[in-house]
Amino acid sequence: MNKTITLWTRLLLTASVLLSAIGMASPAAAASGEETFKKKCGACHSIGGGKLTGPDLKGVTERRTEAWILQFVKSPQKMADSGDAAAKALLAEFGFPMPDQDVTDADIKAILAYIAGGGGGGGGGAAAPAAPAAPPSAADIELGAKLFQGLVRFEKSGPACNSCHHVKNDAVIGGGVLARELTTVFTRMGAPGTSAIIGQPPFPVMEAAYKGRDLSPAEVKALVAFLQDVAAKEAMQTPVDYGNNLLIGGTGLFLVLACLYGLIWRRRKQLPVNHAVFERQVKSQ
Amino acid sequence: MDIRAQISMVFHLDKCIGCHTCSIACKNIWTDRKGVEYQWWNNVETKPGTGYPSKWENQDIYKGGWERNQDGTIQLRGAGKGKGLGNIFHNPYLPTIEDYYEPFTYNYLNLIEAPPGDDQPTARPVSMITGEPIDVKMGPNWDDDLSGTPDYARNDPNMAGLSPAERQAMFELERLAFFYLPRICNHCLNPGCVASCPSGAIYKRGEDGIVLINQKVCRAWRMCVTACPYKKSYYNWHTGKSEKCILCYPRLEAGYAPACMHSCVGRIRYLGVMLYDADQIEKTAAVPDSELVNAQLSMILDPFDPEVIQAAKANGIADSTIKAAQNSPTYKFVKTWGMALPLHPEFRTLPMLFYVPPLLPVMASVTETDGAQKAKLNPIAKTWTDNWLYDTSTEELWGTVEQARFPLKYMAAMFTAGDEKAMAERIKKLMAIRIYRRWKTVGDVDEAKARKVLADVNLTELQAEDVYYLTSLAKFNDRFVIPPAHREQAHEMLEFVGDRRGSTGFGFRETPARGM
Repeated sequence: MNKTITLWTRLLLTASVLLSAIGMASPAAAASGEETFKKKCGACHSIGGGKLTGPDLKGVTERRTEAWILQFVKSPQKMADSGDAAAKALLAEFGFPMPDQDVTDADIKAILAYIAGGGGGGGGGAAAPAAPAAPPSAADIELGAKLFQGLVRFEKSGPACNSCHHVKNDAVIGGGVLARELTTVFTRMGAPGTSAIIGQPPFPVMEAAYKGRDLSPAEVKALVAFLQDVAAKEAMQTPVDYGNNLLIGGTGLFLVLACLYGLIWRRRKQLPVNHAVFERQVKSQ
Repeated sequence: MDIRAQISMVFHLDKCIGCHTCSIACKNIWTDRKGVEYQWWNNVETKPGTGYPSKWENQDIYKGGWERNQDGTIQLRGAGKGKGLGNIFHNPYLPTIEDYYEPFTYNYLNLIEAPPGDDQPTARPVSMITGEPIDVKMGPNWDDDLSGTPDYARNDPNMAGLSPAERQAMFELERLAFFYLPRICNHCLNPGCVASCPSGAIYKRGEDGIVLINQKVCRAWRMCVTACPYKKSYYNWHTGKSEKCILCYPRLEAGYAPACMHSCVGRIRYLGVMLYDADQIEKTAAVPDSELVNAQLSMILDPFDPEVIQAAKANGIADSTIKAAQNSPTYKFVKTWGMALPLHPEFRTLPMLFYVPPLLPVMASVTETDGAQKAKLNPIAKTWTDNWLYDTSTEELWGTVEQARFPLKYMAAMFTAGDEKAMAERIKKLMAIRIYRRWKTVGDVDEAKARKVLADVNLTELQAEDVYYLTSLAKFNDRFVIPPAHREQAHEMLEFVGDRRGSTGFGFRETPARGM
């Protein structure tokens, strides 16, 4: 009995390994690996193009084992938490963990095959538009600011950036705190990184939020311009921090209103006319 | 002179048996809907009692009606421009649902659908507002069942002016008495509800003076609920509009009496048109309390007076309406015979529903000649020689009026703004006619006495017979003299109807749009 199972298992395993080997070798898989890389990784990683937001992935298959990569890509933070030295080192080097990727093992293997195959050389972020060489135009900054705040709607109705992100800038109202604060994102990632992330979000939540609502190149350009401007002007911004005053002021106003209402409605009928009668009545509950 | 026609009502309280048929007739027609379950456009109260909503007569609580200023003008007590603005977000004088009563039904279905169990299934009371089981706290006619308790009868706001001894006398065993007070909207000449409405949704119909709330214009301010001292404007919590008695105007227009009057078992209700001088309204509503009743009655004009008829015609009042006014039973009771009085004239809304006050319980004649009866009485019971008087408490002809079981002061607080003399006058008339008729039918009253009592109250024999007829024998058409509504004329004012001529009478049968 046992023997039969083992035999079958072996057969199946062999078949699957063979099949996957064939798949990896096939051009279709390589193409899909390239696609996935550009979509999911290219924003932060290059293949032989040097360090971007994340490390250069050239030769990564030689540096790490496949098993390690499979595990790491799915949840880098968990890996670092579990005490993996390499993951910790990466976290220390880049300062923030790579976001968890919603990819299958087959996808990763395809990407690795693409990387191993040279990845078409060049930098990452193949989808990214050319970085603006000159300082961004005022029109772009203005449009970017409006798009960021949702004052102008994205063409495909994607949610406005400030529903999740905040930037320190006097010109715009505060944004949400659900995702990273973006004041210095341009400094950290540069034009290619920023526009790649905006154009093709590699973060699962952001990806889901903009699924089927991709931003147009013009919108990406405007937002990058805005973020560049924000990063450049960061030192000059003095956003007002009300701190506890807001809470204290609110409480004070509430008390004033409470007194006012108490005064206006002081003659409010508090009890029914026959309250005393009702009080005496036998109640079932 | 600005003569207008007003449909007015007279309720003869001596005839009311308190059966609530009127209330049920009204409820079934008009207030059997969601949001108005608690409303009783017609309700019957037991007096003494606190009524519905509880203590509605106490304007310190509800701030209804008008009050007279020092300078002789009047203003609404709890509503109006300034006060309304001050209470725009919360009107503190509104009755709450508990002041009316929380409407309830019983879960009858449980009686037949309950699963088998150890106990008999019961039909629990269920709130008609929330649908949840409730403890019934109160009903719309709670005074019926609980009158006499310290909570209801003894809290009657009309007893405010009575001394403790007088109050106690009202509840003395074997002297205890009560009467019924049916109430509907008074369709006042100076309605507080109309004056208070910030939306201008309430109006008094020009042709017959019926006060109506335009449901499309009402904006749920509920100022009318406060302003009506009779609490006869109600808020429909489901539609967010206020509603009130419409005097069954669709029935009136078709020539039928309102449902409450039509169904009245005791035939206590009379309806007819009266002509009044609208120029006098403001002045009349502002006279001192003591003159209120007479001032209001003097506004009502004689429909036989040629000058009045001419002015009425000039004002567009139809001949048929003038004729109805001449036959109006309410004009007879109110003006010709001077027997009916408005309820709480001191609210200054000039109500056009009048009440013939109750003569209060007639006691069997107990005399010293009636030995068998006499033996059953307490030895200290009073005896007298005259054997025709109704009341056993006095020997004087009119003494019974002063010593009635209900103090005149109490009745006057309800019907004459405290004028006991005016009140006594009405009660004497009622007594006089009764004594006169007793002479006629039973014959145990001396003829001289019968004639004397009539003369004392300035009634002729013919008038007494008329009163007797309208009180006891009147047929439908005597009790309800409804002027033709002339809707066809109103219709013609609104649109051209000439195109109908020559185009009706022949054609194809088509299914009506509403479906068949």
